[in-house]
Amino acid sequence: MLAANIEYYKPATIQAALEQFYLLKNKRKRPIYYGGGTEVLTLGRLNLIETDAVIDLKGIRECQSFEFDQEYLITGAALPLTYIEEKNLFPLLTSSSMGIADHTARNKITIGGNICGQIFYREAVLPFLICESKAVIAGENGIQIFALNEIFNETLQLEEGQFLLQLLTEKRYIHLPFVSIKKRQQWDTGYPLLTVAAVKVEDQIRFAFSGLCPFPFRSRKMEDELNNLQLPLKERISRALLQVPSPILDDIEGSKDYRLFVLRNTLNEIILDLEGK
Amino acid sequence: MIGKGIPRKESLDKVTGYAKYTADYETPDMLHAGLVISPHAHAIIKQIDISGAVKMPGVRAVVKGENLPLTGEELSDRPPIAYDRVRFHGEVIAIVVADTPYLAERGAAMVKVQYELLPVVNSPSEALRQDAPLLHPNLGEYKKIQMVYPVPGTNIATLTKIRKGNMKKGWDESKVVVEEKFAFRPSDHAAMETRCSFAQIHPNGTIEITSSSQAPFLIKRLIGQYFNIPPGYIRVNTPLVGGAYGGKSSTQLEILAYLASKAVGGRLVKILNTREQDMLTSPGHIGLEAIVKIGSTNDGNLKVAELLYFWDGGAYSDKSIDLSRAGAVDCTGPYNIENIWCDSLCMYTNHPYAAPFRGFAHSEVLFAFERTMDVLAKKLNMDPLELRYKNAILPGHTNPTQVRLTSSTVGNLPKCIKKLKEIFNWEEGQLIELDDERVRAKGISCIWKNSTIDPDASSGVILSYNTDGSINLISGVIEIGTGTKTVLAQILAEKLKMDINDIHVQMEVDTLNTPEHWKTVASRGTFMAGRAVLAAAEDVIHQLKSLASFILRTRVDDLEVGYGKVYVKSDSKKYIPIKDIAYGYSFPNGNAIGGQIIGRGHYMFSGITYLDKETGAGNPGPEWAVGAQGVEVELNRRDYTYRIVRAVSVIDAGKVLNEKMAVGQVMGAMSMGLSFAGRETFRFDSKGIVLNPQLRTYRPIRFGEHPIYEVAFVETPVKDAPYGARGLGEQGLLGMPAALGNSLSAALTVNINYLPLIPELLWKVKEGG
Repeated sequence: MLAANIEYYKPATIQAALEQFYLLKNKRKRPIYYGGGTEVLTLGRLNLIETDAVIDLKGIRECQSFEFDQEYLITGAALPLTYIEEKNLFPLLTSSSMGIADHTARNKITIGGNICGQIFYREAVLPFLICESKAVIAGENGIQIFALNEIFNETLQLEEGQFLLQLLTEKRYIHLPFVSIKKRQQWDTGYPLLTVAAVKVEDQIRFAFSGLCPFPFRSRKMEDELNNLQLPLKERISRALLQVPSPILDDIEGSKDYRLFVLRNTLNEIILDLEGK
Repeated sequence: MIGKGIPRKESLDKVTGYAKYTADYETPDMLHAGLVISPHAHAIIKQIDISGAVKMPGVRAVVKGENLPLTGEELSDRPPIAYDRVRFHGEVIAIVVADTPYLAERGAAMVKVQYELLPVVNSPSEALRQDAPLLHPNLGEYKKIQMVYPVPGTNIATLTKIRKGNMKKGWDESKVVVEEKFAFRPSDHAAMETRCSFAQIHPNGTIEITSSSQAPFLIKRLIGQYFNIPPGYIRVNTPLVGGAYGGKSSTQLEILAYLASKAVGGRLVKILNTREQDMLTSPGHIGLEAIVKIGSTNDGNLKVAELLYFWDGGAYSDKSIDLSRAGAVDCTGPYNIENIWCDSLCMYTNHPYAAPFRGFAHSEVLFAFERTMDVLAKKLNMDPLELRYKNAILPGHTNPTQVRLTSSTVGNLPKCIKKLKEIFNWEEGQLIELDDERVRAKGISCIWKNSTIDPDASSGVILSYNTDGSINLISGVIEIGTGTKTVLAQILAEKLKMDINDIHVQMEVDTLNTPEHWKTVASRGTFMAGRAVLAAAEDVIHQLKSLASFILRTRVDDLEVGYGKVYVKSDSKKYIPIKDIAYGYSFPNGNAIGGQIIGRGHYMFSGITYLDKETGAGNPGPEWAVGAQGVEVELNRRDYTYRIVRAVSVIDAGKVLNEKMAVGQVMGAMSMGLSFAGRETFRFDSKGIVLNPQLRTYRPIRFGEHPIYEVAFVETPVKDAPYGARGLGEQGLLGMPAALGNSLSAALTVNINYLPLIPELLWKVKEGG
């Protein structure tokens, strides 16, 4: 239960969702788009979310699609994570998804909600960053398609009223060799100390990270160092560590130095695994 | 019947969702309370502005803390609602009573409080410092009961001393000495059911409280004491309780529910803790800092132990005084040590305060002591199991409080150690290298526990017959998930030689009609209530026989009760069915005699004494349960991650009354101990704020993370317990933190003396990171 008056709307079309948003805005409300609701509840209990109206996107058909067309895998933003895992159309995404929260929560958490959420791990975005997916965004100007790596900078850079509709991933990425690893403070549950998704594309390994900084990211600079086959592995990793963006997380899940220790080990594991493939 | 794995009587209701817990009770006239809690750990309350809340439609009252009596189980130091000062993050500042839970929460959010922050005491060692802020400047003026020794002008809520033997002699005889320091922070019980209470005051003045509690009779006593109400005017109900682990034996929410009801003219008011409040506001699991110094001869005979325990009791002393005393009573492991010096200090800090936690200070003390035993074994170059076997406490030895032990009181520890050695394949070695990185390592711990309980604690049982010869069993034991009420039915079925399905157990407790059972804590339910059941059964047997003797025209002592009959011993064909006399006997001509047979029985321990102030000498409780435990881990030395492969317990149960439930209790306790040791802790910032008061950041062990559990028993009967059974509800937990710590310390060849044992800690200790 949240101690706030919150209106709930579930539009059936993109247009209706946008209209609802601006209608509420004109009434001086603070609407937010809503996926599975887990974060609204969790943070709402701690008074960390300010809203008085939610617009549920699960009723929009486009947000529910999960299929291949000629070129792309289309991933609807309102799909629950467990649905994506069960269908398993994109093994790397399945693997990253399964590390998030727990099964019960993943029945609710949607892919769009995870990517656009306030809790800063946003691990579901990692596979899309390294597969250079496209983000389909709905807004006042209609439906627009952006390269994810351009529009995702720590968070998805949405303008007021816009929402994520779908992600498009080129088919050629779907079955490439990949690794997805999540390291936690202890055992098999909890937020990441570090989550890494890596994929090998034409002898180059791409990496995206969550849990290292208070945002998920893909770093070309780190990739350059890690793929520099001229140097011994240890050296490559050391040089990549110098390129980690700041700030590095230092919190109740783990200290900064420990996270770097974990990063070093994990990069080692991933590279040994993928370079052999 | 005794020993069999009878399913719990309440199981079906629980698994079908039919069982009702306190929060499940809803009535249309019920009001709801929302709590305003402190966001600061230590501050002066400058102003509480309730005007916004009072104006809200649907808000019936806002209760503040002025002019309320101080509360606390042994030392009255706690205002039920803070009014001039807050001393921990989560402390209650006001209660808002409203028509719905939603309005109550809204109202609570409308209360505005101005604070002036004070410096924070963030650990027991900080609390001890000369210049530490004093949490309770009036410590010397608080009301207290016996065996409470506060030190006014300091943050010491009580000091318990153990002085046994001659320390100088002990050190002189010791050739090998080790000293280790330990620390861990407070944590939580994380019971599945968050605490809930509702209260009303009836027009005749009777206060009726329903609560998810292990101690309804204590609530009755304390509410009466605090507010000066005669005991007959307080009635407390307890439905099934969804996990308690000690946390529901403190009286806290009940006081608030009563005050809330009083503020609205006695109407029914419910308070249901949110998970966050259950973790912060209601009392949690105590923390500890310890220094353990022990000495032995060159061949490993323990000679002396010097122990300093600084308990992190939090902002109020409530139950932590008793916890710190229990930690002093069993201040060593279960070993024969002639010279012991222990100071156990219950410290005030600006942390959430403590309730009992399954094991009652024992897993905490044993973590420190049993880790030190391994350090000693290493220094002696001796097998750690051998060291323990050599020093195991035996009948004839004395405990730290100088009680001379018998086989009945202390059981058989050497037998437990031997059995552990076998089950745990100790012979194969403590360390097995699996490859370059991975190692398997074993750690062990011995355990013991007495229950420091009130000398006059009692338990009562009422049995009443139905017309078909079946029996209703009423006991004040709370069914907190331990299955005790089923065990009581087993004891009765055995005694009366009857079908357990003909015994109807009242699961709920209502203090108006249920005989008192002290508190459902300390693994004492089966012992005390079991004895009361046996006494009540004797009473029933006596009544049945005297009526039957007259009908069968035989002597009373020639009769026997069983199989639904009262029969003549020498001629079992001569009998009368119990159902024909359970409600009195009717003659063929209509004359009748007797009436419904009602049996009663009670039990109180004898011989328990207060402890001497200067030496701690005295008899703290009825018996020690002993055992030996092991934990095996598989550790990756490169990245310090590990998984627990298996955990083994060998416990002297006295007598196993219900095999399945006994194993279940021990396994459950083991998992709780591993969870506490492996990952559970509150994380405080420098201002004393708890940073993880939700289950997404405070994460107990989950399904899928468990090791293989193995449980075995030794049976050395306790003379005066029902069928010889010892306490069993807590023992499985006690050695888990130490055994896990010992396995990891062995695997990494460093001393790991902090909890929780997460990979980052191992990395830090090993690599100095």
